Amino acid sequence: MAVIEARGLGKQYSGKPAVADLSFDVAPGSVTGFLGPNGAGKSTTMRLMLGLDRGAGTTTFDGEPFTALERPMRRVGALLEARPFHPTRTARNHLRMLAAANGIPLRRVDQVLEQLGLAAVARKKPKTFSLGMGQRLGLAAALLGDPDTLILDEPANGLDPQGIQWMRTLLKGLAADGRSVFVSSHLLSEMALLADQLVVIGRGRLITSGPVADFVKGSRRNTVLVRTPQADELAARLAGDGVTVEPTEPGALTVTGMDVAAVGDVAFDHGIRLHELTARAATLEEAFLEATGDAQEFEASAR
Amino acid sequence: MSAALAYEWTRIRTIRSTWWLTALTLALGVGLAFLVSWGMSVDLGNGNTPGPQERPLIAPMIVGQFAGQGAPLFIAYVIAMVGVFAWGHEYRHGMIRATLTALSSRTSAWAAKYVVVALWAAGTALLTMLLSAAVGWLWLRDDGISFATGDVAQVLVATAAYTVLFTWVAAALASLIRQQAAALVLMFLWPLALENVITLVLNVVPGLDALASLSRFLPYNAGARMLSVGDRSGGALFGDPLSPWGGLLVFGAFAAVLLGASLVLFRERDA
Repeated sequence: MAVIEARGLGKQYSGKPAVADLSFDVAPGSVTGFLGPNGAGKSTTMRLMLGLDRGAGTTTFDGEPFTALERPMRRVGALLEARPFHPTRTARNHLRMLAAANGIPLRRVDQVLEQLGLAAVARKKPKTFSLGMGQRLGLAAALLGDPDTLILDEPANGLDPQGIQWMRTLLKGLAADGRSVFVSSHLLSEMALLADQLVVIGRGRLITSGPVADFVKGSRRNTVLVRTPQADELAARLAGDGVTVEPTEPGALTVTGMDVAAVGDVAFDHGIRLHELTARAATLEEAFLEATGDAQEFEASAR
Repeated sequence: MSAALAYEWTRIRTIRSTWWLTALTLALGVGLAFLVSWGMSVDLGNGNTPGPQERPLIAPMIVGQFAGQGAPLFIAYVIAMVGVFAWGHEYRHGMIRATLTALSSRTSAWAAKYVVVALWAAGTALLTMLLSAAVGWLWLRDDGISFATGDVAQVLVATAAYTVLFTWVAAALASLIRQQAAALVLMFLWPLALENVITLVLNVVPGLDALASLSRFLPYNAGARMLSVGDRSGGALFGDPLSPWGGLLVFGAFAAVLLGASLVLFRERDA
């Protein structure tokens, strides 16, 4: 078990807040996706959680801050963006060094090299590695101590489609074993397949957190397409609080804010004939763009 | 702390530059000792006997890498690069993130670096000096030059201590400016150019000559006095020139200030 509790995280760079008053939980047994536009503060947040950046707030792992953990790699495995290894220290030596600091046996080093498909290049220098191989070495380091918590910043970076699928299976499996997996990504379609829970930030502030399904369900992009020869009449009947009706083409309406059943019932009550009634579910990407629209706009105008 | 030491001990041994620099130190030090001892043995063989005052200085000079007479201790410059890389690589390659996610205590990570670097520096310096002594003894034993003297013992200890302090200072500079190339430049320029320029200015500019004798307190000038053999300071700890102990105190204080700043900033700054 490893509950992550982040409370009031904050960080300023030369007076400008990069992360402000950010609080969220990550529960064991789930993959929690960390989403936000570029520059929203995802990497800064992860660095704050691990005590790498100095800032406001606290993050605890089962009640303890990272800096109080003994043998931290056995508790929390981290992969941060950019390749944190020396270009001429071999992959195996890099892991040996990390293992030495955490009382991890050498056989575990060879095990993760094997697991990550790096056994063949174990004694090669990482400067010869492709982006994807470097990323896998980073993942190997994160998994080295068999930790119950993983914090991964863009782990899919540089992986090929097979690699991404492999990683998805791996992370889902680790979560299913009861671990906490906190992973940022800008690949929303990938996140839709991977994450159970979401933490969404924009401009360094929390926009929403909760189950992926709730997030998508709450989107204004969940629409109902309805075709009827009496479009004008139906539009008038549907109008109400929180409901928008847009004529998309002659004889067709797109309704937002009502579900299929409600639209059908209104039509039935007023004797309006329907030719088509279709629910259009929002994608995670649509829900994300909608939720972070303001933050994104700010980013664009700030430059 | 033992975790941090294990990490550093593996770190320093799994990087090529450590071995290159160590090999270079041994080659330069022992090689020069070989050439000089050989030259001297030929010289002595030709009947050019040095005076009774110079004779006991030959062994300490060979063992101490010829630094006792004011020449820079070149092996320290080579070894100190191991210290610069100890911090430089952390920042140049983003290793600091790996380090601080493997070791949760910054103070332990910091301390382990200086401990391991000091052991390596002292070990390399002592090995170089002992091999130099062996080479010197092989050439000069028949000429009545003894290497088992108090001066030689003093040189062994003083040179090893100086090399450790010198390496610590270089490492602390790299940790403070977090820029490997700049730290390397500073490490050479400060002792070899900067302090000489200051000393020169103090001596030649009218009105400043009253301060000229203060240049003996410049840290590297003072540090070099640790290596002097045969005390010429007239006994005063901070006389002119400084006594070896006075040199140790000044250079040691300088190193302590830089190490302290290195620790404070390492704890405070973003990694």
